[in-house]
Amino acid sequence: MAGPVLEFKPEDTQAVVDEVMARSGQNITACYQCRRCAAGCPVGEETGYVTPDRLIRMILLGDREQALSNELVWKCVSCYTCGTRCPNEIQTAKITETLKYMSKEEHLDPLLPKVAAFHKSFCTAANHLGRLNEIEFMGLYEMKNTFRNLIRFKFKEIYNETMAQAKLGMMMTKKKRMHFGIEKVKHLSDLKRLLKKAKRSGPLTESDKSRST
Amino acid sequence: MEIAYYPGCTLHASSRLYDAQTKLVLGEMGITLNELEDWNCCGATSASKTNDFLAVAMPARNLGIVEDSGLSELVIPCSACYSRMLVAQHRLASNNTLKDEINAELSKKVKGDIRIMSILEVLVPKVESGELAEKAAKLLKGLKPACYYGCLQTRFPYNVPVPDDVENPQGMEIVLKALGAKPLDWSYKTDCCGASATVNDTDTALRLMSKIFEDAIARGANCFVTTCPMCQLNLDAYQKQMSQKYDIGRSMPVYFITELIGVAMGKSPEELQIDRHFADAIGLLKELELI
Ligand code: SF4
Ligand code: SF4
Repeated sequence: MAGPVLEFKPEDTQAVVDEVMARSGQNITACYQCRRCAAGCPVGEETGYVTPDRLIRMILLGDREQALSNELVWKCVSCYTCGTRCPNEIQTAKITETLKYMSKEEHLDPLLPKVAAFHKSFCTAANHLGRLNEIEFMGLYEMKNTFRNLIRFKFKEIYNETMAQAKLGMMMTKKKRMHFGIEKVKHLSDLKRLLKKAKRSGPLTESDKSRST
Repeated sequence: MEIAYYPGCTLHASSRLYDAQTKLVLGEMGITLNELEDWNCCGATSASKTNDFLAVAMPARNLGIVEDSGLSELVIPCSACYSRMLVAQHRLASNNTLKDEINAELSKKVKGDIRIMSILEVLVPKVESGELAEKAAKLLKGLKPACYYGCLQTRFPYNVPVPDDVENPQGMEIVLKALGAKPLDWSYKTDCCGASATVNDTDTALRLMSKIFEDAIARGANCFVTTCPMCQLNLDAYQKQMSQKYDIGRSMPVYFITELIGVAMGKSPEELQIDRHFADAIGLLKELELI
């Protein structure tokens, strides 16, 4: 599928290529645009024209802006199909992860805010008690969504979202798939210290030289 | 035979039936599951998308607990937890600085020398040794499952050893054939169901699931079988919504592998908690006179 023409920005190229390669641990300069990744990417039809090969091309051409906010970064479901099939062992899922961290650091609005809210809420809830409480997690997630929609006066979306989740919750309760008990890790101190370290170090750069894929 | 057991959050919450079935079925084969003392959440995919350090640190604490217990093998039925623990172990092994940094905060340090197994790695040898067939009280005649592996059972973001074929895995087929079922060849067994996108990007997930259903039905499957609680919940709980949108026109039960082994062993639907499905899972088993 033809997409918009990519721009080449020689003055920016090296910096963005180096940053993405160092942080994702992926050798994107090895990409020879065979598009094997694109053929298997399950969200390829949903991202406009951005498939893993195109995303890599954007980075190699130094188009930081496009690389940081395009649909693939937010729609990638981390299925690892691209990386498993890539003849050069490039794991694009690690690149989309890296670009998410980078866009967050630059305070860009996530293109799919629900995706960002989901993963953030999961981690907050999981680290609160050490085990994920599904009700706490979904509660946090919906609070984030509601707040975002409220300040933008999107009342219809609040209604739709709340109804969808309420329906799911009721169905799950009916099928005995919902559990209201609270499970908690007894010795939370290790986890708390690790969490502190994680926050201090910020999102980790891929310093380990282990070959990905 | 005693193995360490990591249920993970899902098997203690929305997929409790999988926890119960796993214990029941493996117990029947003489395997004692020793649940990790005070285990914590593995971080799932969310940790890796939010903070990469946590994506290794959260599983690491659990690995330290297993090592401390003295057991050398760990089984993890949930594909997501399995994938995260395996990847964390690999990354710890290849990065000493990271390992030291994490170990500095752990009361039970991790060395990284235990064997992490998916449930199929426990079951397949039991087929080969004949123990599984021995325990079967009946054959799963008439069952034509589409074995669905999803992403996390065979594809990993790092170079970890994969115990099955990456693109065409056979573990579930081997188990089900040994029990008399006729698993089908089909094309979507390792395609993605959408994972968490069912919640945060629903339309994308419904489209992915529709392809999985269309292919399975076209091949003549009468049910899905899976090892992943996330795939199970997605294909089951969102089935109605997806069917309406894509005009699928029929409902398909989505079983856990342990559920069908339990049926073959003659366990009752109550013990196996087969009533906890969204798409009717009892009807087909009754129709085939398996329960
Ligand atoms: S499969 Fe690998 S080499 Fe081929 S286009 Fe995709 S990333 Fe590049
Ligand atoms: S990991 Fe992401 S980019 Fe790669 S094939 Fe899957 S969805 Fe596409």
